[in-house]
Amino acid sequence: MAKKRDKPFGQVLREAREGKYSLRKFAALVEVSPTYLSQVEQGNVAPPTADRVKRIAEALGANADEWIALAGRVPEDLPKIIQERPTEFPEMLRVMRGLTPEQIRRLRDNAERMKKEGKD
Amino acid sequence: MARRIAMPGPKLRYMKDQEFEDEAALLLAEYSRQHVAVTAPPIPIDDIVADYLRLSVFYKDLKEEFGVGDVLGALWVNKRQVDIDLGLVPEDNPSMLGRYHFTLAHEAGHWRLHRHLFQQKANQLQLLPNNVERPEYICRSSDTEQIEYQANRFASCLLMPREMVKRAWHEWHGSMDAIYFGDLAVASDQPPTGTKDDPITRMLFEDAARPLAATFEVSPDAMRIRLEDMKLLLRKREPSLFE
Repeated sequence: MAKKRDKPFGQVLREAREGKYSLRKFAALVEVSPTYLSQVEQGNVAPPTADRVKRIAEALGANADEWIALAGRVPEDLPKIIQERPTEFPEMLRVMRGLTPEQIRRLRDNAERMKKEGKD
Repeated sequence: MARRIAMPGPKLRYMKDQEFEDEAALLLAEYSRQHVAVTAPPIPIDDIVADYLRLSVFYKDLKEEFGVGDVLGALWVNKRQVDIDLGLVPEDNPSMLGRYHFTLAHEAGHWRLHRHLFQQKANQLQLLPNNVERPEYICRSSDTEQIEYQANRFASCLLMPREMVKRAWHEWHGSMDAIYFGDLAVASDQPPTGTKDDPITRMLFEDAARPLAATFEVSPDAMRIRLEDMKLLLRKREPSLFE
């Protein structure tokens, strides 16, 4: 993933697509024009919107959230989630910033457990 | 046809007609074995280039890039990359579908027949500064060089395989008989000359080639050339032994 982050979105997309689909086939699959897709791959235009990136990632069996971040976009459901708790969520994210991936995973596991317990 | 931009390596080899047929059939067989069997037209040239030859395809404004009006495609041998002019992309310009296919097949031809002329070994890169950031082949519709002729012949055989054309001709025409120019000219008011440069003759032949061109997703011009080449469209009635 660290490696992937060094590459522009268009290049990551092209490398993931190649060998699986031709430009035109993939463009048809994710419902964009082949010319536009090629321009994205060349980095001549900004990466697509988050929902389109999600579709592209899913079609290639890639992690949608990771690709949305790579495209410099924010997943579309996030602003709404943050606004549900306009002070707690930003605060929590700021605290979490700088933790290791393992620590974040533990926090997430805890949150999931708490959610489950809450429901039972 | 194309200008050679990079420094040429070994000399271009002369190829006989049958060799183009064989080379194209070989590529089709290799693709069929490794991917999907191709048994009927149109030939999936997008997939052959992308999935089998593993060449990266980019759509670019080549006219602007190279400053000439008729650039259709370019091949970067060492980057394994094919550039196709934006104006050919069929989703934007449906009438260009045939030209688009032919340009891809033409670049595939350079890749299969000529890439050894330009492929560099890692330690040669610095010896060839002219090669940096320039494609090895820039292919223009006005080019007439031998190397471009070879790529065109290959493209023609690949997109219109001989046996498939024969089959389609039989289905469309009802027999393997050729169509003579004289038979087409009867319906025309202006008497066409039947010579190579006569626009009316060319138009009549292209009209005759149109149904098969649609089947093979090539331009009527490309199909006309192939049919003339296969002696299914004839300008002169060939003398028979029995006449």
